[in-house]
Amino acid sequence: MAEKRVLVVDDEIHIVHVVAIKLRNNGYEVMTAGDGAEAFKIACEEKPDIIVTDFQMPLMSGLELVEKLRGSEETREIPVIMLTARSFAIEDRQKEDLQISQCLSKPFSPKELLENIEDILYHRAVINRQV
Amino acid sequence: MRSVRNLYLIVTAVVAVSLLAGGLAEWLDSGAEEGGRFAGYMQRVPVASACCIVGAVGVIWLGWYWIKLARAITSIAKRLKADNIMDSRFRANGKPKASGNAIIDELSQVLTEALVRYSNVIGELERQVSDLQIQVQLTQRQKGHIEAIIYGIRDAVIVVDEYDKLLMANEAAGRLFNFDFTRSQHKPVGELVEPDKSEFVDILSHSRQSKTQATRKEIEFLKDQEPKTYDCIISCVYDRNRQVCGAVAVLHDITREKQIQQMKNDFISHVSHELKTPLASITAYSEMLADGEADDEQTIKEFCSVIQSQAKRLNRLIEDILNISRIESGLIKVEKKAVSLTILIEEQLQMIKGYAEEKNIEIIGQKPIVFDQVYADKDMISQVIVNLLSNAVKYTPAGGSVKIGTEVDETANLIRVSVTDTGVGIPEDAIEHVFDKFYRVGANKKQAKGTGLGLNLVKQIVEKVHEGRIFVTSKVGVGSTFGFELPLAMAEAIRT
Repeated sequence: MAEKRVLVVDDEIHIVHVVAIKLRNNGYEVMTAGDGAEAFKIACEEKPDIIVTDFQMPLMSGLELVEKLRGSEETREIPVIMLTARSFAIEDRQKEDLQISQCLSKPFSPKELLENIEDILYHRAVINRQV
Repeated sequence: MRSVRNLYLIVTAVVAVSLLAGGLAEWLDSGAEEGGRFAGYMQRVPVASACCIVGAVGVIWLGWYWIKLARAITSIAKRLKADNIMDSRFRANGKPKASGNAIIDELSQVLTEALVRYSNVIGELERQVSDLQIQVQLTQRQKGHIEAIIYGIRDAVIVVDEYDKLLMANEAAGRLFNFDFTRSQHKPVGELVEPDKSEFVDILSHSRQSKTQATRKEIEFLKDQEPKTYDCIISCVYDRNRQVCGAVAVLHDITREKQIQQMKNDFISHVSHELKTPLASITAYSEMLADGEADDEQTIKEFCSVIQSQAKRLNRLIEDILNISRIESGLIKVEKKAVSLTILIEEQLQMIKGYAEEKNIEIIGQKPIVFDQVYADKDMISQVIVNLLSNAVKYTPAGGSVKIGTEVDETANLIRVSVTDTGVGIPEDAIEHVFDKFYRVGANKKQAKGTGLGLNLVKQIVEKVHEGRIFVTSKVGVGSTFGFELPLAMAEAIRT
């Protein structure tokens, strides 16, 4: 089975680094971006299986990134996990409207993040098989 | 007076009876004489007749007087009876029991008692009137106090009756709703309040009709084209029968409180975000170490280094927050004395040297100046210098330079310190925010890490603690100049 590809987006280089190591150690191919604009560009070009993004970033926030992803035909279906230090900043309605699969509060556990990624990709695979 | 009148009556009666008796006797005697009977008669009859006539008139007058007196007494007795004053001792079958002076004495006694009773009643009434006058005075004074309170209060106060007509309003209310109270009394509030403030009229009317003792609501108005928030409290006024007879509305401007609350919320939100960011790295890396995700020595060292640097970042952040908070609240201990800026700058240049060399940035120091003493807290000004220098190095690409210089403005008696870099520069629209708490120039965030508090701390130390001035000029792609001005120690000494 081909390696699943994950795009990790955060303006904190240490966070990107630690998530990338965790995922690579568990058999994922990891791409990284430091802001929303760069992430959108990579997402359009590389079409990752899942995106893990920070909420608050310069130039383009995590929410703006997801809005752009949902607005583009190529990236509309990519599941997104949002990492945020402001757990109240995202309303349930926004989460639903933008089809954000999961919101994890910072500080977060890399292990928990990995479990969430696996769950989402597994369910996605099951749905795809049924279709 | 009464005894004189009695004496007069007795004398009159005696004289009248004596004259009548004497006249009759003389007249009878005159008929008994022989011989000179006619002549005696002719001599004595007129005198006797006169005595008889005068005596008879006196008796008739006395009779008439008595009848008149008896009628008068009966009339007074009837009146007293009608007034329920005369008691049984004075009456017998509705008529006086006794007569003459006894009746008058009795009547006099009764009248005296009635007079005393009436005097007591009048006295009591006078006391009541006096009490009422005092109460009226007290009420007027209390009214004056209440009016003084209402007019003196800074909140808008409006008093209406049960028909929402204006009874009282203070100046603040007049300013808020744009009406003149003296011309607006007894007019319906709905007619006085501008349409954009009709929400207040609705709340006032609804509160009064609902008879709720007190209603509280936040209302937003435009005042002088500025959005304002008011805490509106409406209290119903009740009469003796517990019926609502009006309402009092107090509108307190809470715009500033709301702004402060919002700033506090933003600050807490920023602080928690900034604290969570290094904490997230520490948590994630330590978990990775514990889970054995770092399988070689170099990775373990790298993870430990990240944890260490993030812990330091966390500590620095907490220190900065506490310092800013202490300065803002005036609780920080300030030890001002004359210090040489040249020496302070030299010390901080030594500290930053290693960091600059690491980034391959040239540091150009100042030329010593003759008089550079400022009256300042040495540690705080050192912090200002190191913050400006480290910021300049942080945002200057390799191969660039950072220059620090001082100059004395003798006319203004101040010294100016400038730190100029050849860094990335700051966009024009961001310059006014660079000293704000937690503000970081978006375009430069990737250039270097920061808490967004360093420049705010610099501003607080220079302007709030040392009454100096901070300044900044910048051009994107060319570089920035940050600096500050402080009064020279000499000038400061003269001023203090």
